[in-house]
Amino acid sequence: MLTLLRLYAQVNTWVLRLMRHVAWMALALMVVVILAQVFFRYVLNNALPWPDEAARFLMLWMTALMAPSAMRWGGFVSIDMLPRALPRVIGLVLTLVLLVASLVVLIVGLSHGYNHTFGFGGNFNSSSLRLPLDWFGFEVVRVKLRYMYASLLLCVGMMSVVTVEMILRTLIALINPSAELPPDDAPNGVMEAE
Amino acid sequence: MLALFLPAFLIFLLIGLPVFFALILSPGILLWMNGQERDIALLYRNVYNGMDSFPLMALPFFVLAGELMNRGGITTRLVEFSQALMGHLRGGLAHVNILSSILFAGLSGSAVADTSALGSTLIPAMEKNGYSRKFAAAVTAASSVIGPIIPPSGIMIIYAYVMGESVAALFLAGIVPGVLVGVGLMVVVRLMADRYDLPKAERIVTKGQTISPLESRVSFVLIRINIAGLLMALFGGVLALVRRLADIEITSNSWLVFLVFLPIAHLLLLRLRKQVSSDFRVICKKAVAPLQTPIIILGGILVGVFTPTEASAVAVAYALIIAFVVLRSMSLRDLPAILSKAALSSATVLLLVGAAVAFKTVVSLSHAPEHMANFMLSLSSNPLVLLFLINLLLFIVGMFLDAGPAIIILGPILGPIFVDLGVHPVHFAIIMSVNLTVGLATPPMGLVLFVASSVSGEKVETISKAIMPFLAVEIVVIFLITYVPAISMTIPRLTGFVQ
Repeated sequence: MLTLLRLYAQVNTWVLRLMRHVAWMALALMVVVILAQVFFRYVLNNALPWPDEAARFLMLWMTALMAPSAMRWGGFVSIDMLPRALPRVIGLVLTLVLLVASLVVLIVGLSHGYNHTFGFGGNFNSSSLRLPLDWFGFEVVRVKLRYMYASLLLCVGMMSVVTVEMILRTLIALINPSAELPPDDAPNGVMEAE
Repeated sequence: MLALFLPAFLIFLLIGLPVFFALILSPGILLWMNGQERDIALLYRNVYNGMDSFPLMALPFFVLAGELMNRGGITTRLVEFSQALMGHLRGGLAHVNILSSILFAGLSGSAVADTSALGSTLIPAMEKNGYSRKFAAAVTAASSVIGPIIPPSGIMIIYAYVMGESVAALFLAGIVPGVLVGVGLMVVVRLMADRYDLPKAERIVTKGQTISPLESRVSFVLIRINIAGLLMALFGGVLALVRRLADIEITSNSWLVFLVFLPIAHLLLLRLRKQVSSDFRVICKKAVAPLQTPIIILGGILVGVFTPTEASAVAVAYALIIAFVVLRSMSLRDLPAILSKAALSSATVLLLVGAAVAFKTVVSLSHAPEHMANFMLSLSSNPLVLLFLINLLLFIVGMFLDAGPAIIILGPILGPIFVDLGVHPVHFAIIMSVNLTVGLATPPMGLVLFVASSVSGEKVETISKAIMPFLAVEIVVIFLITYVPAISMTIPRLTGFVQ
């Protein structure tokens, strides 16, 4: 089981790293987009229609891509007095129960997310966002709301994957207290600053 | 049946379920047991809709701006500036700690950032100066609650979003209460300085301060513009007063007024500079550029140039300019790490806001606010008594829960009750924010205490004891803010952001 967890954790580490890279770029782009909005309005006297929606699009994706990492590193706010105060084994069992409860929420969320994203509403075009591919001689592609909705779906999906990893970790810690768990790739003290 | 979600939520929270899941699971289970499957889909959609908001975007931007300022070495400059102003008093470094917190509050919107940034420089310095470590940690923790009260403030952005208030009005309303907390803490330090014979400190720690010629010139211009602007605002105030008293029409061209005040500001500064040492002057000059941030944010919002979200993006741009052009303390290679950190901490908060919006829709479906209102009104119909009870409730909640989640959960339940009783929504927002942020520094679970403990290496219990006198004065300030609406409402009223 430990080998399985190692493999699984390694895959997660890679995927989450990739997601974090896209996420910080999204944040940087958000700043650029909003500054462009201010610049066009005041300096060029030409208010743009798309920055508002584009920035929200980026923010949703930034959140969705970052949240699974935050969850893996214990960055989700909780009152952890009880699990800490209990004896080790009972505390771990409680943690396990809490993780399973989270997983249930996420799995139910996954099915609703699927309907939300691929259902009727996602078919609508965004009101202002389109990819100007006509600059390159192609047709203009209108951004569908689905592309924004998908962010939360992916987020819930990845959080489920991470929760499964955390459940495996807790299980192994329960069975074999001396087992050496694989690293979770958390930079030093990064979640302390929450 | 649906009203049970509140106790269910509390139980989930207390056994240690993360707030995000507790917010969704407790209404979700009850909806499922009620057979309202379709409303569960609504729950999911509201998480999404809750995050999909333009005003909320100010949150990641202010986090990012604060992170950039902190890495760029601005903290040290603010501390040096505060020390040049207040270091020579008895209990000097304790005063410096508080003043730095007030200044830092204008750049950052979080108490935790304040504690870790100022604590890591000031706690060792205070220890060297002869303070006990627990006292140093306690002052740092107690003063850091000013961070989210003085704008920009993360929790006020969240409150404004969840409750549909104006961010600008809340920002402006927070200024005086924040300064008041600072002044209160300084009074405690003053009293303790007499009793425990707290040491003085040097005003200037490193002699022979230098400043780059470019920054010197920039600061030279900026400080004059700032003072001229300040004089102009005063003049405008006097003018408005005269108009009201004497009922005469006076019109003035604001650009002309500004041009008149610019040389006056210059002359004033020339007089001042003769009286201080050159090191003092350089330290002040070095603080000018960082301290433009609150001026840009508040000025931009006040004049109506920016929305708060745009102001936050401009603050990021300004922080970048300072770090790269003026201080040259950062390279492009540092940026991904800073952006990642800001994205990480704002992602958790944004997700939480989404979950809270979903929770809030169920709150309103369940008629819980009405039940709650009836219950509270059955206790007393005197708003002052009820406000006192709310102070107590928020204080206790603040001990266990971070201010952001607490505001999201309790705001929609408590806010409408007090607005009906005649408390102004903006005033109530300030009461709630100050109450909950002070809770951050309150034992046993105050978040800031844990950060102060990890920064200083002192135990949480020891800091908890040392922080008591400061907490006492903060509680007094909370009552003042609660019962004297003018403290928070004057600035937003004068500037026309609140009728």
